[in-house]
Amino acid sequence: MTRYLGAAGGAVALMLAAAAMIFFFAPTDALQGPVQKIFYVHVAAAIAAFASFATVLVGSVLYLWRGSLRADRLARAGALVGLVFTTVTLVMGMLWARPIWGTYWTWDARLTSTLVLWIIYAGYLLVRRLAAPGRQAARFAAVVGIFGFIDVPIVYFSVDWWRTQHPGPVIATDALPPEMLSTFLFTMACTLVLAGVLIAIRYRIETVMDQQPVGSVVASPAPPTRTRFASPTSPQSGEVN
Amino acid sequence: MGYLVVAYAFAVVALGGYLAWSLMQLRDLTRKKS
Repeated sequence: MTRYLGAAGGAVALMLAAAAMIFFFAPTDALQGPVQKIFYVHVAAAIAAFASFATVLVGSVLYLWRGSLRADRLARAGALVGLVFTTVTLVMGMLWARPIWGTYWTWDARLTSTLVLWIIYAGYLLVRRLAAPGRQAARFAAVVGIFGFIDVPIVYFSVDWWRTQHPGPVIATDALPPEMLSTFLFTMACTLVLAGVLIAIRYRIETVMDQQPVGSVVASPAPPTRTRFASPTSPQSGEVN
Repeated sequence: MGYLVVAYAFAVVALGGYLAWSLMQLRDLTRKKS
């Protein structure tokens, strides 16, 4: 537990350093004013969400290929963290759009595909929550995790493939002045560290939960002995990989 | 300026809240396990 607290403290310190850069180092945009500073965390959160969903993809492929419960836990951890970062991306984007576009939301290709991404992984987590725990649910979720990732490149390239109101890439096109670029790159690195720490903590939670008997999270008068991944033929298979 | 403050307040609440909730959940599970 101590090392997770230490990692979390480190990630928070990095995010505070990024905030200091955003508010005290990066210049204010001449056209949009201070509201443009939403850009730094909005884009960094989107990249952290993509990285988290890539973790779901890797975990899902490994689970279907090797049947590893560790891979399934990694996928579960990545999905929840990715959903949190996608929520931050969407809400910050809406709050940026209101003063610039005059509306919180428009059914633009980038916004719509990002909303679809949020729905896909919310569905993934819903499947995991509602389905009876076990290999069947894990296999089904892995398939959703693999096909769901198809939307990630669609979100990324949507500004190139369709006419959109959302601005195109600014990093690859050298559109940012050096102070803004260095602030963005630092914020992105800090956000990726935070995402890694959140996935590691969630992975640990999933590991401990897998080792607990089914129903023990909710108080039960007669705790059953099966674990979340136990099968009738292997009653204690929760840690078998 | 108001939108900037609300946007960053939301990011802090969402990411910080999720981090705190995860740590508390891990602490409770670890206690229950031991």
